[in-house]
Amino acid sequence: MEAKIRENTMSERMFMFVVYAFLILAGLGCLVPFWIVVIDSFASEKLLNKGYVLFPSEYSMEAYRYLFKSNQIFKSYGVTVTVTLLGTILGVFVTAAFAYVIAHRKAKFGNFLSMMTYLPMVFGSGLVGFYLLIVNWLHMKDTMMVMILPYVMNPFFAFIFVTYFRSLPYEINESATVDGANEWRIFFQIIRPISTPVITTVSLFFSLQYWNDWWLGLLFIDNTNLYPLQILLRQILNSQSFKLFSTGVLIPPAEGLKLAMVCVTIGPIVFAYPFVQKYFVKGLTLGSVKG
Amino acid sequence: MRVLQELIKNKYLYSLAIPGFIFLAVFSYAPLSSHLLAFKSFQLQKGVFGSDWVGFDNFRFFFDNPDWLKITWNTVYLNALFLFFQIAIATLFALFLNEIRAAVFKRLVQSFVFLPYFISWLVVSLMVFGLFNGTNGIANRLFAWFGWEAVDWYQTPWVWPIILTMVSVWKNAGYLSIILLASIVGISGDYYESARIDGATRFQQVTKITLPLLRPVIIVLTLLGIGKIFYGDFGMIYGIIGDNGVLYPTTDVIDTYSYRALRQLGDFSMSSAIVLYQSVMGLLTIVIFNAIVRKIDKDSRLF
Repeated sequence: MEAKIRENTMSERMFMFVVYAFLILAGLGCLVPFWIVVIDSFASEKLLNKGYVLFPSEYSMEAYRYLFKSNQIFKSYGVTVTVTLLGTILGVFVTAAFAYVIAHRKAKFGNFLSMMTYLPMVFGSGLVGFYLLIVNWLHMKDTMMVMILPYVMNPFFAFIFVTYFRSLPYEINESATVDGANEWRIFFQIIRPISTPVITTVSLFFSLQYWNDWWLGLLFIDNTNLYPLQILLRQILNSQSFKLFSTGVLIPPAEGLKLAMVCVTIGPIVFAYPFVQKYFVKGLTLGSVKG
Repeated sequence: MRVLQELIKNKYLYSLAIPGFIFLAVFSYAPLSSHLLAFKSFQLQKGVFGSDWVGFDNFRFFFDNPDWLKITWNTVYLNALFLFFQIAIATLFALFLNEIRAAVFKRLVQSFVFLPYFISWLVVSLMVFGLFNGTNGIANRLFAWFGWEAVDWYQTPWVWPIILTMVSVWKNAGYLSIILLASIVGISGDYYESARIDGATRFQQVTKITLPLLRPVIIVLTLLGIGKIFYGDFGMIYGIIGDNGVLYPTTDVIDTYSYRALRQLGDFSMSSAIVLYQSVMGLLTIVIFNAIVRKIDKDSRLF
């Protein structure tokens, strides 16, 4: 009863007002840039030359028509989708299997493997070694593989898996061993199905990483046929892309094209976002557990 | 021999780690050998191991140029700004979100502020450009509306630490606030119950219960950030600033500098020296800070 009265005091209401005001402003602040990018990608070029607006007065599909006229965008989409799919599948398998060994009670070298994963996070090899490795030793410049392989083994995701695997009851493993299953069977047929939530989460993290990466493309991809979306976007943002679009249009809608390209690039993420958000939240919560 | 015995005994188990082991060895450990180049004059034909030793010449060259101080300062200063404001705003955010009872509103706001985490820095760079470009940026049009003079942002170095901090908060605070909110939800309701009985206001509950109990998580997040304080966010800085030399005095960080040394000058040895310097500084920082934290709060240390 007393508490209820306090809840309605003046200062309490002031506090809640500040809370709501802050949250609404923050929410809008995060949303509005997306709104502007999406709605302005349909604005006419004439309007865009005067700067971005919240509500365009003139609409046009010119930018999208221009973007889809050349097949570069389809090539780049193909590259990014392939890289993301292959990378995610490979990454989840390699990282999970490695983490499973680290987490396993029987593995005496678990700590060694865990140390081995942790060290490069603290003492990096840097750009030069990485560049030489890819270009001079592995000869992977201008290949699809160069955008996939470097990210396959991910220490951060490995530790998410480790935390999860350690939380599973060890009896599962013991009884399966008694029944004569080897560790491969246990991993694939017992652990994998009961790890679906964490696998989903890590898969989504992997996909996001591959989809948004432009570091590897920037360093190692010069062949326009292998341009991922992000690199194509970069070329368009720097207005260096016109040779990629051999169309009859004399004056390309430069500003609209940038916005349209951004929308095409973030489209799948934004559409998937409402459905997958909860898995990311789960992953962050898992990852924040130290261990 | 014991090693071999253990490996053979659990051969099925360890074989699961082979792919990961190979990937780590190739992509994380093999490139470490290039740190040797910091002490060599790299020649492509001779390779990393065959090139001639030059002692500390590369370091002398790097440290003779006052640039090294500038980029070191920028890296540490920008990262410190980002870290402080990201964590401060994210904490505020998590605390505020936790006060909200209306579930729909809460979920909606949370989704909105988490959204920027999902896009690449290139996409962010277009948004920043739309806001701050000199001719028709939204900022300048707002300034004109207030009757203020337009600013040529992309030619004004001193404003960029502020802009970049705002952008980094915009992109990452939502993500951090989710981690923090998860820890808040984990706090037992009993504390609040007894505080209410003693007549604590909601504001007091936040400052006296929630915040102190969040301290370990905040310390861990800060430590993780400090561990990376010598590593500039290449994607962010290069995505937003690019090759705009006018802004280098306040925005050029070790990572963008060594990238240019490698890609534009083709100077492998010098770039290696910079990178080795960076790795050593990063390692020292994490060891020192971990020791300090171990003294203050033993449970929050990283190792």
